[in-house]
Amino acid sequence: MGSAVIVFRLVLADIRRHRAQAAMLLLAVTVATAAYALGLSLQGVSQALYQQTREATAGPDVVALAPDPGPAVAPTLTSLARAPEVVAHNGPYRIVYATLVAGDATSKVVVHGAANKPGAVDRPLVTSGRWVRSGGAVLERGFAAALGVRVGDRVTIEGRAYPVVGIAVTAATSIYPWAAQIGPGGGPSDPTGLAWLTRSDARALAAGNDLPVTTAMDLKLRDPDATQAFVDAHHHPTVRVTFHTWQFKAEQDAVMLRDSQPILVVGSWLLGFLAVTGVAALAAGRAGEQSRRAGLLKAVGAGPGLIAAVLLTEYLALALLAEALGLVLARLAEPAIASPTASRIGDVAGPAGATVVATTALAVAVAGLSTLRPTLRALRTATVTALGGAARRPRHHPLLTALSGLLPAPLLLGLRLTARRPGRAVLQACSTATTLIAVVALLAVHAQPAREYGLGSSALPNLRDVHDRRLLLAVTVLLIALAAVNTLALTWTTATEARVNMAVARTLGATPGQVCAGLSTAQLLPALLGAVAGVPLGVFVYWLFSAGETTAPPMSWMISAALAVLLATAALTALPARLAARRPVAPTLSAEAA
Amino acid sequence: MQDAVLAMLAKEPSHGYDLRARLRRSLGPLGESMNPGQIYVTLTRLEKAGLIVSERASGLPERPERKVYALTPAGQERVAAWLTEVGWPKPDLAEFHLKLVVAAAARLADPVELVAAQRRELLRRLREAQHAALAEPEGSAAVLLLEGVVLRLQADLRWLEACERAWSPVSAVDDEAEDA
Amino acid sequence: MNALIGVRGLVKEHGEGRSRVRAVDAVDLEVPEGQTLAVMGPSGCGKSTLLHLLGGLERPTDGEVWLAGRRVDTLSERALARLRRRSVGFVFQAFHLMEELSAAENVELPALLAGRSRREARRRASLLLERVGLTGRARHLPSQLSGGQRQRVAIARALANDPLVVLADEPTGNLDTAATHDVLRIFEELRSAGQTLVIVTHDERVAATADRLVSMRDGMFVDDTRLAGTGTGWLGGLIGLDG
Repeated sequence: MGSAVIVFRLVLADIRRHRAQAAMLLLAVTVATAAYALGLSLQGVSQALYQQTREATAGPDVVALAPDPGPAVAPTLTSLARAPEVVAHNGPYRIVYATLVAGDATSKVVVHGAANKPGAVDRPLVTSGRWVRSGGAVLERGFAAALGVRVGDRVTIEGRAYPVVGIAVTAATSIYPWAAQIGPGGGPSDPTGLAWLTRSDARALAAGNDLPVTTAMDLKLRDPDATQAFVDAHHHPTVRVTFHTWQFKAEQDAVMLRDSQPILVVGSWLLGFLAVTGVAALAAGRAGEQSRRAGLLKAVGAGPGLIAAVLLTEYLALALLAEALGLVLARLAEPAIASPTASRIGDVAGPAGATVVATTALAVAVAGLSTLRPTLRALRTATVTALGGAARRPRHHPLLTALSGLLPAPLLLGLRLTARRPGRAVLQACSTATTLIAVVALLAVHAQPAREYGLGSSALPNLRDVHDRRLLLAVTVLLIALAAVNTLALTWTTATEARVNMAVARTLGATPGQVCAGLSTAQLLPALLGAVAGVPLGVFVYWLFSAGETTAPPMSWMISAALAVLLATAALTALPARLAARRPVAPTLSAEAA
Repeated sequence: MQDAVLAMLAKEPSHGYDLRARLRRSLGPLGESMNPGQIYVTLTRLEKAGLIVSERASGLPERPERKVYALTPAGQERVAAWLTEVGWPKPDLAEFHLKLVVAAAARLADPVELVAAQRRELLRRLREAQHAALAEPEGSAAVLLLEGVVLRLQADLRWLEACERAWSPVSAVDDEAEDA
Repeated sequence: MNALIGVRGLVKEHGEGRSRVRAVDAVDLEVPEGQTLAVMGPSGCGKSTLLHLLGGLERPTDGEVWLAGRRVDTLSERALARLRRRSVGFVFQAFHLMEELSAAENVELPALLAGRSRREARRRASLLLERVGLTGRARHLPSQLSGGQRQRVAIARALANDPLVVLADEPTGNLDTAATHDVLRIFEELRSAGQTLVIVTHDERVAATADRLVSMRDGMFVDDTRLAGTGTGWLGGLIGLDG
């Protein structure tokens, strides 16, 4: 008990003394765990949304679609409805293939002829306005959202204007833009929205404009899971009937989020990696101080267990707190990320137990990986040496040193600083490479030819692409933010460690500008290597996670991205380097002598 | 110093000339002022006291003098006694201390000034000793002797510093500052 | 001013408000070329601050600092850096060598900073290391050298650009007697070669090797003694055969 209090007080005091570091650790781990939790909990989200919509709208188990005209169609569908497995049905009803204009946007649309009062199967849920009436149209919510149409607006279908009287969702069709299910004549379909008119309006629309029509029937089965058996049993020899099961629609929904998950999961790995990098930089920067603390604790009689507890608890506690914050963030962000379509209703459940376990593992890993080495070193260092404050001895790199002798002064100082702490250089290189992977992936996504939903010149946004791009942009922005914090931390750590050496360089006649440039160079050299590695890695990662043919982004984009990242690194390092270089020399040297 | 010359003969009988050379080697710059006759004056005294005997040596035509000195049994006893002796030169600080006390009491002079003048003198001596030590060749036995001289001067200088602090009126000013 | 170093009415204050301290208090000083000057005083008397002011590492609160006929205290940071590079060599108590560089590389560094070629810097470094008696240790890291050897490397480094003046701050403070001797012997060689040298120390024996000794207390000079050329022949008189 007593030692727990001691640990608590020591940790609290230390956090209070190093607020900026604590904040950085918190930020890094929060962002990483939030992304990770989101990525993990996206699994099954679309299924859940489909299920909820299906329950709310009495969604059919099977939809039978007969694309050909003719007198045999209606009896065939009706006979299906009389099959013993079927407990309820809706229809047959018309699906008319038409063109809809709303404001500037033109889109293909399928018009369902709907009963004024929906029956037991397929009862679309009206989310605003009211259900169809003569002369009025109801738009499917996902479609309406893409068009930007609200109740009270007017849409034109095949030249005739209809007021939008309501907006609804249904589980009978796939989400926008796959509402057509099958194209005219059973062929492939273009991106299509869904609208409902009254039966008579739909008939008039088809007849008046000579439009292709599919006849459909919604069926409810006794056993909703036996859809495949039903489909297999009802192959009709003469009339072409296509069956869409509810399972197929649910799968179709998941396509919307198919790319989101890798973006988030891979993104969270990258974010987690950056978090480890940044925290490791901070921990390494404090290694000397931690050794002294450990030595002090040893000197007053603390055992290795207590010392390890003091050193590790701080990072662990902060990481776990950050994890909790990350989970809350994930919960808040999930609805926005998990339902890019307005075609479905329902709530997202939030991170489940398995997700919490996984994020906890991530947080503990970040804390552990970044502090284990300094902690072990602090424990192993002899007490007297530790109290003397002798940090790890830098290694001698004759080759780098010799090479640097050929360079102008700032590069000379920078290269020697880099040689001083190769581990730190690796961290900086990794940080840069990670950022560039995300940036290149973002560029690659943007380089793909856009497939939009509208017709002709009108551009209806490709929801999935827009969603993916937005998500990737968000992940990239987070990565860049973390990388920026990392660069600041790394430069500051380097500047702090090299304080005496830089002061000595000043006494030897280096100007503050040269020292500042040297500190920047020490970060820029590894960043350059990281940039060179990051571009091909980014292309590779994009290729790995994208299906089918991809278009590589132009070389000029990637080179510009690498240059931009390097420039940003230079700018970011300049700030702490400048602060460090401006520090007066005399007190540093005197304090070191004392 | 007579004892040292006596002890030098314990190893083997020597000429006066050799004795003088050995003394100068050991003393370095400190032995420079010894004039050539001094060693013979000392040897004569020791011979008179019955501690050494001399005899004429032959076969060294280039040497102007031929006497070789050797220890008598009494001389040997004296050397043994000298080696076990633990006597030590007295530090003569009392006189300067009294000088300061008297000067202050009778207002004859400012003791701080006296200390400063004494300090300058000791520093000059220290400089001389230090330079002599630096000028000695590597491995010279005299360096150790000079080191002793330097260390004693350093001790004296530190004592003078203490004197200066004690006699300085500055401490009174400090007290006032603390009261304010 | 004709002297190499000139200081007039020099004041340096540290801290703010009530905790304001005058580390250097209205000091005047002239050091002619070739002179070895020792500044002595108890710790905290302002002697290190004076040295930093002379080398342009700190700026005075008031007063003037001149070096070789040029006013130093008003120079820009960049100009000060150039001045330190060409005209001033520092030696510190804690050596302040770069741990990851070998002895030779440490000595090369100022020459490289001053824009000399690699070959020239290397040549000078080996010359200087020979001068301080460390030719065989050129490739050693500071951690492989004794304290005295490290300080000799630091002195060689201070001499890398033929400075007008070498400023040494407690150069023997971390050294034992033998190492102190080595360092003093090097200073003595520099002195006879005409190198201007300012040594701040609290060690009397180091101070006594100088031509001139200034004593400092509470930021002020309390004594200024000329030691050179006043040989008393006192040493020889120490020994009397009959004493």
